[in-house]
Amino acid sequence: MTRRFWVFIEQNKGQMHPVASELLGVANCLVSEIADELEKTGEEAVVEGILVGHQVEDLAQEAIQFGAERVYTVDDPAFEHYLNRPYTDALIYLIEKYKPEVFLIGATTLGRDLAGAVATSVKTGLTADCTKLEMGPFRKIEKKLLLATRPAFGGNVIATIVCKDHLPQMATVRPRVFESPPRDLKAKGKVIQEDFKVTPEMLAANLVEFITDENAGVNLEYATVIVSGGKGLGNPDGFKLIKELADELGGVVGSSRAAVDGGWIDYAHQVGQTGKHVRPKLYIAAGISGAIQHKVGMQDSDYILAINSDPKAPIFEVATLGVVGDLYEVIPEMIQQLRARKGAQV
Amino acid sequence: MIHLLVSVKQVPDTTNIRIDPETGSMIRKGVPAILNPYDAHAVASAAEWKRKLGGKITVITMGPPAAEEALQECIEMGADRGILISDRAFAGSDTLATSYVLAEAIRKIHEEDPIDMIFFGKQAIDGDTAQVGPGAAIRLGMPLITYAVDIQEINKEEGFALIERKTESGREIIKTTLPAVLTTEKSIAEIPYAALPDLIYSLKYKPENWSAEEPLMYDINQIGLNGSPTMVAKSGSPEAHEPAETISVEEEGIAGVVENTLNKMLSNISVASLWEELK
Amino acid sequence: MKTEKLEFDVIVVGAGMAGSTAAAIAAREGLKVAVIERGQKPGAKNYFGGALYTHALVDIYPDFFDRQPPLERPVTETGFWFLSNDGVVKATVQGGLVDNDPVDAFVALRSEFDLWWSEQAAAEGAFIIPKTLVTDFLFEDGRVNGVKTDRPQGDLYAPVVIICEGVNNLLTQKLGLIDHDVKINATALAVKQLISLPAKDINARLGLPDSNHGMAISVMGDVSMGLSGLGFLYTANSALSLGVGVTLDALQESGLKPYELLQRYLEHPVIAPLIKDGQMMEYGAHLIPEGGWTTMPRLYTDGVLVAGDAASMVNALHWEGTNMAITAGKQAGLAAVEAHKKGDFSAKTLSVYQDRLSELFVLKDLKQYRKMSAFLKNHPNFMDIYPTFLNDALGMFFTGFGKPKGDLYKKIFRSLTSRRPLLKAVGDLVALGRAVIGI
Repeated sequence: MTRRFWVFIEQNKGQMHPVASELLGVANCLVSEIADELEKTGEEAVVEGILVGHQVEDLAQEAIQFGAERVYTVDDPAFEHYLNRPYTDALIYLIEKYKPEVFLIGATTLGRDLAGAVATSVKTGLTADCTKLEMGPFRKIEKKLLLATRPAFGGNVIATIVCKDHLPQMATVRPRVFESPPRDLKAKGKVIQEDFKVTPEMLAANLVEFITDENAGVNLEYATVIVSGGKGLGNPDGFKLIKELADELGGVVGSSRAAVDGGWIDYAHQVGQTGKHVRPKLYIAAGISGAIQHKVGMQDSDYILAINSDPKAPIFEVATLGVVGDLYEVIPEMIQQLRARKGAQV
Repeated sequence: MIHLLVSVKQVPDTTNIRIDPETGSMIRKGVPAILNPYDAHAVASAAEWKRKLGGKITVITMGPPAAEEALQECIEMGADRGILISDRAFAGSDTLATSYVLAEAIRKIHEEDPIDMIFFGKQAIDGDTAQVGPGAAIRLGMPLITYAVDIQEINKEEGFALIERKTESGREIIKTTLPAVLTTEKSIAEIPYAALPDLIYSLKYKPENWSAEEPLMYDINQIGLNGSPTMVAKSGSPEAHEPAETISVEEEGIAGVVENTLNKMLSNISVASLWEELK
Repeated sequence: MKTEKLEFDVIVVGAGMAGSTAAAIAAREGLKVAVIERGQKPGAKNYFGGALYTHALVDIYPDFFDRQPPLERPVTETGFWFLSNDGVVKATVQGGLVDNDPVDAFVALRSEFDLWWSEQAAAEGAFIIPKTLVTDFLFEDGRVNGVKTDRPQGDLYAPVVIICEGVNNLLTQKLGLIDHDVKINATALAVKQLISLPAKDINARLGLPDSNHGMAISVMGDVSMGLSGLGFLYTANSALSLGVGVTLDALQESGLKPYELLQRYLEHPVIAPLIKDGQMMEYGAHLIPEGGWTTMPRLYTDGVLVAGDAASMVNALHWEGTNMAITAGKQAGLAAVEAHKKGDFSAKTLSVYQDRLSELFVLKDLKQYRKMSAFLKNHPNFMDIYPTFLNDALGMFFTGFGKPKGDLYKKIFRSLTSRRPLLKAVGDLVALGRAVIGI
C-alpha cells in the first residue's frame, strides 16, 4: 500500500505559486516523520503533486524539482483559468481514484475557494491556515496522524486539530509560513496525465472578464524589507512617511489590520493572521500596537524594529529592538541618517 | 421579486479576547458576542438588492439561544424572516457538520420558497476557516463564488447574476446561473443605519426556532461530534516572547536614539547583508 | 417600511439609573413608555467607581434582593485613606453601625447593573430602544410634544419627556433650561482601572475575612498631586477598582494627563502591592458633574422633566449620585403619571416634581453642600498639605520611642506650622465645617 502525501500545485498563467514549493518541502518532512512506520510495515510513502491547468508540463517538472516524486496533471483548455466547480470535480476524481492520506493546499484565495468544496464533497476533515504540521501519535491509534496546528480566536488560542477517521487528512497553509526547499534542477520524477473531462454543467459559473489590480504589485509575502504602519499614524497620510522609509530601505509598505479596516490603505498591504504572513529580513512596525493577530503574521521576521510612543505596547514583546518615541520624529531622522550613511560610502 | 437568504453566525468579539493565564482557556466574561462582521455586510448587501428589486430576505443561523440577538440585528438591517437552528445535538460540530446542518435547512426553505441567491460572510472571525460557505454550496450543488466584492447584476428572469470577485492578482467578473452561493468581503456593502421603525420592528421580532428534529429531521451521524471528522487534540495560548530591548527618545534624544538604533540594526547579520546590497 | 406615527405616553431619554427608574415607575402605573438609549445596550455609556446604595434600590423594587441583582461585594468597611507621597493614614469604619442586614451599599459594575436595571423596567412594560440618539425636541404650540432622533423616520411623540441624558446635558441646554455648557471648574474627569485578582488575594491584602466583605474607600492627598480631586478604591468580587478624578480646569492648568495621575496612583508604594500580579480587565473614564446646586438647570418646563446627572444631582463628597438619580427618576415618573391623570402637562402641574425632591435628601443635600466644590477649590491644602501632615504627625508619633515626648510634640507641631500657619489651619477647619453644614 502506498501512502500518498499530496500537494496541490497552484498555478496561474503558467507560473507556479511559491506556496506549492513550500508545501512540497512540508510534505517531504511529513514523510520523513513516518520513516519508522514504513520500516515496520514495509510500505512506501510518496510525495505527489496535483497540477490542474492548461499546458502545464513545464510546471510539472518544476514541482518535481521542488520535491515531488510524481505529478498528476489534469490538462485541458477548460482549466486555463481557475473556476471552482471544474477544479473541485477534478480533484474529487483524483482523490477517489488514488485515495491519498494527506492533502495540502496553499491558503491563497484560490486555495481557500477550492479546499472547502473538496473536503465537503469527499466528507473529510480540513484544517485551515495551519502554522505547524507534523505526523504524530494520537491516542491509541496505530498510525501516526497529521497534527495540524493553527491559531484561532484572532490568534489568542493555538489549537492542534486531528482528523482521525477520514481520508485524506486535509490542511491549508498560508504562503510564507514555511520556507521553500532548495530547487534540485537534476531531480527526476514521473508525470502522469489524467483523463478528466469537463462537462457543461460544471460551467454554471464562468469567467466573463479579468481586471488586473494595481495593488497586485504589492508582493508583501516575498519582500525582504517591510515597513508597516498602523493606527498610531493617526491618519492615512502617515503612510506617505512609511513609504519614504520603505523606499530608502528598498522595501515594501505593510499595514496592520486596524489601518486597513479604517480604510487608510488597501487590504493587499495587511500583515497578520487574516492578512499576509511575511518573513522578511527586516520588519519595521511603526505606530502598531501589536495585537496577537498581527504578531502571528510577522513574528518570523529576522529582525523586528518597533517604533511606538507607548512603552507598554505588546509589539515590544515580539520585537528585537524597540524605540519608544513619536514615529513622526523618529522616522524622518532615520531617513536622514540612512541617507547620510549611504552618502558617506560614495 | 427575489428571495435572498443569508447565513450568519454570532461570534465572540475576538479583538477583545483574553486568555486566563492559569487555565489556558478563554475568558468569555465581558467579551461581547457580535454578529460576525463579514455576515453583517452580507446582510447589508442583500438588503440593498431587496430595495432595488423588491422581494424578501430570510436569515438563518446555527447557534445557541443567544444567537437570537444576531438575527435581530439582521432584521434591523432589513431581513424579513429569521430562523434560529439550535439544539444540543449540534454541539461540537466542525465545519463539515455545520455545512450539513445549514445546507439541509437551506434546502428545505428552498423547496417551500425558491431562493435566488445565498450569501455567507467570507469567514467567521472566531474560526477564520472560510470553509462553511463553500461546503454548503457543494452540498446544494450550486455554483460558488467566494471573495465577492460587488454584485453587478441580478437578473431573475434570465436566471443569471454578475459577480465581481477579488483575487491576489486582480478582479474577476463571474457570470453565474441562479441560484448561486456567494461568500462576501466587507466591501460588498456598507452597513446601513436603520430607520427607527425598522429598529423597533426588530426589537419586537421573535425568530423561528428549528431543532435537530423539527421541522426537519437531521441525520444524527452527520451532526455534532459524530458528524465532525476533525477534533481539537489540544489547545493553549501562544508562547510568550522575550520582551525587546527598548531605547527611549525621552532619554537619549532623537538623533541619539536613531543613531543607536541604526547601529544595532546594522550589526545584525541579516540586516547587514541587506544593507550591503542597498548601498 | 412602517409609516404610522410613533406615539407614547412618556418618552425617557437615557436608560441609566434615572431613566430606567422613571420608566419603570411610569410603566408600572400603566403608561406606555419608551426609553431611548444611545449606547449599544443600557450601561454601555455608564461608568463609576463605585457603589450603589440599598435604600434607593429597594425603594423601587421592594423584592430587590429576591431578583438576584448583579452586585459585587457588599461594603462592610468604608472610610478615608490619606496618602502622602510614600505612606498612608487610614481612617475606616467597619462593624458597628456599618454592619447592617442588608448592607447599606454594594459595589457594582455599571455595564452589568444598568443593563439589568433596564430589564427590570422592561419587565414593568417599558420599551427600551437602544443604539439611538435623541438629537432634538418636537414642539406643538411652543410646548415639547416629542423628540427627534438621529435615525431616519426617527420622530417619537409623547406629551411628557423625561430627560435623563447624563452629565453631558446637551438636550437640557438646547431647551434653555440652563444657559451654559458643562463648566470646567464644576466637572471632574475620573479615570479608573478594573484590575482582576483572585478573591482570596483581595481578602488577604485588604484584611477582609471572606468574599462577602468589601471596601469602599475615598482616597485623598497624593493621589491628585495637589489638584482638587479624589481617588477611590472599591472591591469587586474578584477585582479591584481603582481610580482618580480631578476637575477639568485643574487638569488644564496643570497640563497633567488623567492617565498619568492614575498611573502614579497605581504605582504608589502603598497601592502597588495591592494590585501586584493583577490583570487589567477594564480601563475607562467618565465625566462627573460636581457643581451640584450651582450648576443645576431648571428641573422642569412644559412637557419636560430633568433628572440625574443631567440635572447635576451629584453630591461629590458623599459619593452620592446614583441614588439621587434613582430617587429623582422615581419622582419624575410619578409626576408624569399625575400629569396624565390630570391630562395637563404644563410646567405648573409638573412642578410637583421639584416640590417633592425639595422634601427629600436630593435637593436638601445639594443645597446644603452648594459651597463644597468651591471650598475644595479654594482650599487645596486638604488635598496635599493635610494628608501629608497627617502621615508625618502620626508617623513621628509612632516612631518616637526613646525620644523625649515634649520635643516630639514640638516637632509635630512645627511640621504643621512650617507648612501652614496655625491660624490659617484653624481657619481651614472652620471653613470646612461651614461648607459641610452649608452656611
